[in-house]
Amino acid sequence: MAWLTLPVDLLSKYLGLFTDVWLTLVFGFLIVPAVFGVPFGIHKYYIKILLSIFEWTTLQMELKAKEKNNQLYKHYTSGIIVKVPDSTLKQEIQDLRCSAGCLSLDPRFELADVFVFCRKALENIIDDDVTKRFSAQKLENWNLLTRSNHNFRYINLQLLALWILGVLIRYGVLLPFRVTVAVTGIFLFVVLSTVVGLIPCTKTYLSDKVHLMGYRLCVRSLTGIVTYHNRENKPKNDGICVANHTTPIDGIVLANDHCYSLVGQLHGGLLGLIQRAMVKSSPHMWFERAEVKDRRLVAKRLRDHVADENKHPVLIFPEGTCVNNTSVMMFRKGSFEIGCTVYPAAIKYDPRFADAFWNSSKFGLMGYLLRMMSSWAIVCSVWYLPPMNRKEGEDAMQFANRVKAAIAAQGGLVDLIWDAGLKRTKVKDTFKEEQQQLYSKILLGDHEYQNHPES
Amino acid sequence: EGDEMETPSLEEGGEIRRLGKRFRKLDLDGSGSLRVDDFMSLPELQQNPLVRRIIDIFDTDGNGEIDFIEFIRGVSQFSVRGNQQQKLNFAFRVYDVDKDGFISNGELFQVLKAMVGSNLQDAALQQAVDKTILGADRDGDGRISFHEFCTIVGELDFTKKMVVDV
Repeated sequence: MAWLTLPVDLLSKYLGLFTDVWLTLVFGFLIVPAVFGVPFGIHKYYIKILLSIFEWTTLQMELKAKEKNNQLYKHYTSGIIVKVPDSTLKQEIQDLRCSAGCLSLDPRFELADVFVFCRKALENIIDDDVTKRFSAQKLENWNLLTRSNHNFRYINLQLLALWILGVLIRYGVLLPFRVTVAVTGIFLFVVLSTVVGLIPCTKTYLSDKVHLMGYRLCVRSLTGIVTYHNRENKPKNDGICVANHTTPIDGIVLANDHCYSLVGQLHGGLLGLIQRAMVKSSPHMWFERAEVKDRRLVAKRLRDHVADENKHPVLIFPEGTCVNNTSVMMFRKGSFEIGCTVYPAAIKYDPRFADAFWNSSKFGLMGYLLRMMSSWAIVCSVWYLPPMNRKEGEDAMQFANRVKAAIAAQGGLVDLIWDAGLKRTKVKDTFKEEQQQLYSKILLGDHEYQNHPES
Repeated sequence: EGDEMETPSLEEGGEIRRLGKRFRKLDLDGSGSLRVDDFMSLPELQQNPLVRRIIDIFDTDGNGEIDFIEFIRGVSQFSVRGNQQQKLNFAFRVYDVDKDGFISNGELFQVLKAMVGSNLQDAALQQAVDKTILGADRDGDGRISFHEFCTIVGELDFTKKMVVDV
């Protein structure tokens, strides 16, 4: 059966060669530099090439649309209606009533007042500010990923060929590389972290190095290109770091640059294994499921941790859940009640290269990671903001809102009052009661309102 | 009088497409029509005291649900291209709860109460209602017809207020 073994021989020889080449490339160019923190260097060119390709593809699509004489359906990233800039209820009613020529706002009821409520309701029915934060942001240019183009149709042969090439590169070349790096990284990290945990002295120094290495490998495995701004404001050991939350990768992106102590629930499986390995060399705070409900316990542990100068700053995401990186939603006040210095950080992902938002109702964690690893790159910017402390007479909620506003302003995100938990629950009646109160004030005139008790 | 459905102003294909997407997004259970719950899933809408009146106006066949045609018709009344009559009609129907073509004392009270909640005593509210009807009622029948409504409200420049540009 010699003729059978010959092709098998050849196959195994070439396969062996292939694997050798592969391993050399991966270790030589990706893993070893990442372990020692040496930058790879071609990222800038990679990004530039991709951007020029994306511009070309969008141009093609526009040309095609023009041929067919219709407008290219551009997703309006800010909403499908033109909205009146923020005006209060009082202003709007005044505008309406005074359009007939009166000068001031008389405290009485007018039949026309309903117009204002109607318009607001219609605006919200057609396009509200909240629900669109819970689905992926829409792009203006196409980046060769069908997942971001809902209009995908056959345009021309070149575009199709380019897209196929893109798919091949992403799934055939990039994805395997990235998975290899990620697996190696996690393995190394777990082993080294446990080993370092066993060494009694120089524990902090070594564990810092091991942690940073682990995160660096993770970031490389996603082709993460992170730009850190204002590094002089990096968090110090006496406080907590807060940031807006878009994806589980947020933690990795931040921890790539500085060592933090993480807070969270202890999971099972692979994630739990990693968590347990981490805690052997550095004091992270993992809570059992039952403990999470006990807010005082959590607060106490946080307070104790922050008070200890030798421990790293705690990393917290006060929104509580992932939002799609176009806005910052309400911060939970729990972490702001501790009374320590807060170091805010703003994270903004560039949507042209990957959609970083984790829509947990759509995909699980594994599916999400797969999507991330088969995108072009994760490009993001991190801004460290100057530390903030609670002011005299400010309560935790006001402090939280102040921090939130600063983060939103820096990252170019919309600052919303709404709770990100609205992804799953309903709004409380207090909001409606607020509107009713506002309108009542208009009817009575502000002065009179104070004298009228509630019925 | 004032009850007939005006045909909606023609909308460009793009507008209908966008509204169609929006409708599908609001239709949480995919049933093809929107119920009160689907609207109430919008936090900003929940804070509007008149939201149930508006949904009721959209629901022209009175089956408690808004199908796509009713949705488009309702939204088109706020279109830039809509006419004054349509917009006045919409506002009138906010008050005319039983859809009989007249705003009665009780109906006006009901709507005003929704707008102020528990912040005003009923007696004060009733005063405001009586005063308004007195001022608007020309033919002395104790209620406000569409014509009387237009006379009162028509002077104001509400077209800007009643426009949503899709």
